[in-house]
Amino acid sequence: MNLFKIIKNGIVDENPIFTQVLGMCPTLAVTTSAVNGLGMGLATTAVLTMSNLAISLLRKVIPSKIRIPAYVVVIATFVTIVGMLLKAYVPALDKSLGLFIPLIVVNCIILARAESFASKNTVASAAADGIGMGLGFALSLTLLGSVREILGAGSIFGFMIFGEAFKPAIIMILPPGAFLALGMMLALFKKITTGKKNKKAEIQSAS
Amino acid sequence: MKNEIVKLGIILLIITAIAATLLGFVNQITSPVIEEQIIEANNIARKSIMTEADSFELIDEDFGPSILEVYKALKGNDVIGFTIKTSPKGYGGDIEVTTGITKDGKISGVSLGTMNETPGLGAKAKDAEYINQYTDKPVDNHIAVIKNGTPSENEIIAISGATITSVAVTEGINSSVDLFNEKLQ
Amino acid sequence: MIKSILIIMLSSILVNNFVLSRFLGICPFLGVSKKVETALGMGMAVTFVMVLASIFTYLIQKLILVNLGIEYMQTIAFILVIASLVQFVEMVIQKTSPTLYQALGVYLPLITTNCAVLGVAILNIQSEYNLIETIFNGFAAAIGFTLAIVLFAGIRERLEISDIPEVFQGFPIALISAGLMSIAFLGFSGLVK
Repeated sequence: MNLFKIIKNGIVDENPIFTQVLGMCPTLAVTTSAVNGLGMGLATTAVLTMSNLAISLLRKVIPSKIRIPAYVVVIATFVTIVGMLLKAYVPALDKSLGLFIPLIVVNCIILARAESFASKNTVASAAADGIGMGLGFALSLTLLGSVREILGAGSIFGFMIFGEAFKPAIIMILPPGAFLALGMMLALFKKITTGKKNKKAEIQSAS
Repeated sequence: MKNEIVKLGIILLIITAIAATLLGFVNQITSPVIEEQIIEANNIARKSIMTEADSFELIDEDFGPSILEVYKALKGNDVIGFTIKTSPKGYGGDIEVTTGITKDGKISGVSLGTMNETPGLGAKAKDAEYINQYTDKPVDNHIAVIKNGTPSENEIIAISGATITSVAVTEGINSSVDLFNEKLQ
Repeated sequence: MIKSILIIMLSSILVNNFVLSRFLGICPFLGVSKKVETALGMGMAVTFVMVLASIFTYLIQKLILVNLGIEYMQTIAFILVIASLVQFVEMVIQKTSPTLYQALGVYLPLITTNCAVLGVAILNIQSEYNLIETIFNGFAAAIGFTLAIVLFAGIRERLEISDIPEVFQGFPIALISAGLMSIAFLGFSGLVK
């Protein structure tokens, strides 16, 4: 499979959040601002890519019966490494993501890709899949984070975009806001994709 | 059957052992960096509320449950004041409040560390507009929180809609004031 | 002692509900909550795993990780403990209640990836609870999870038979309802001083 196609698949066609609806916990919890969403997205991409790589490399060696615990140990190792690196070199991000950094290990996306893709494909494809899914995740998180930040704090990536007079809807950066924002965006995404599908069907039936 | 379980167990153990070695290696590299970070952050916090000081010395005594740590602020060899860290309970959890008090009994500044207050409300306690209210206040009396009007020498105005946070921060400062008046004069 | 335990429980069940304000356990929350009975069954299984996990992870942290100075192995150690516990619970349920086992299906092994279980284990250590407080916090977190998931299942059963615009059907309307529940639970803040 063409590597670029694999990457695009992760970003658009099988987007982990908007299409597969996986990895909900961090999605709702850390998207209180655009930069938090981006940070978490990139950290997860790093773990996902490395774990896909490792699991694809070891796929002929790991016996099928213990594959799930083995995958879990591999994933947990990379999560711990990324966590240590963040704590040492980007402490501000480590503070804002907090508990959710070690929780990357139970992000269903990573185990799902390990089981369904990395264990059955070559190293290059597995890495590409990790990058694609990771970027899809990161982009969606940044998008959600931006929406919540704009509506809830009147800024984006820390830059105030509205004047003093704008009274932000603080609820957007509180827990309920996460549910509401994601729900609305999923509905919007559905509307856009069904719209495209209907158009395609129309064109096909017309021709 | 039993042999198979043992064999699988051993493979899993090997994978975990490799993981542990890798982690031990990364830990060696990163843990000194992490410790440095924490020390740096604390130094910066202390310096920001006692700008005249050029060094700080820990006072290694137990001052009771509400006081986390006390540092002597030194300019050269003279003690010019103290920085006292407390941890009062706010709206969303504990708030780290570090108060700087000069030797002649004035608050030189207040710095807030980890806290979990509501963004847009309690979190505004970190804004200069609020936290600078405490600077230069005398420590002869406790500081009181009022909701509006003109604050007197021993009063500050609470954040509108975040009285609990404001009261909590003030509590932390008052504990520091008490300690200064009782033990550090 | 009793006071601190009551505060811990009130906090983890209502004020800082694990699902509606800490965002832990969302995947099963959205996945298993279509029927009240399955939700209740899931809640009980999670409670069992969470309490046992809290105890074992606490012991491992205090007796092994801290003593050997290998705290960085926490993530690996904890997740392996949880995975084994879930295997064990699966076998127990299979033997004692085959109907429940059928009903929970694939969601049972998925408790391993339930962030609430790993989350509460880590939070117990971070909050520096002793063993008794750890047990009660684990229990309270699970009760809070069960409460949220059962309430939500009740709502979703109603949603199934309501007339909802097509783009909102399924997850969108579920998330919006969860958002409204979360707003309701916000009302509990400030309950624990």
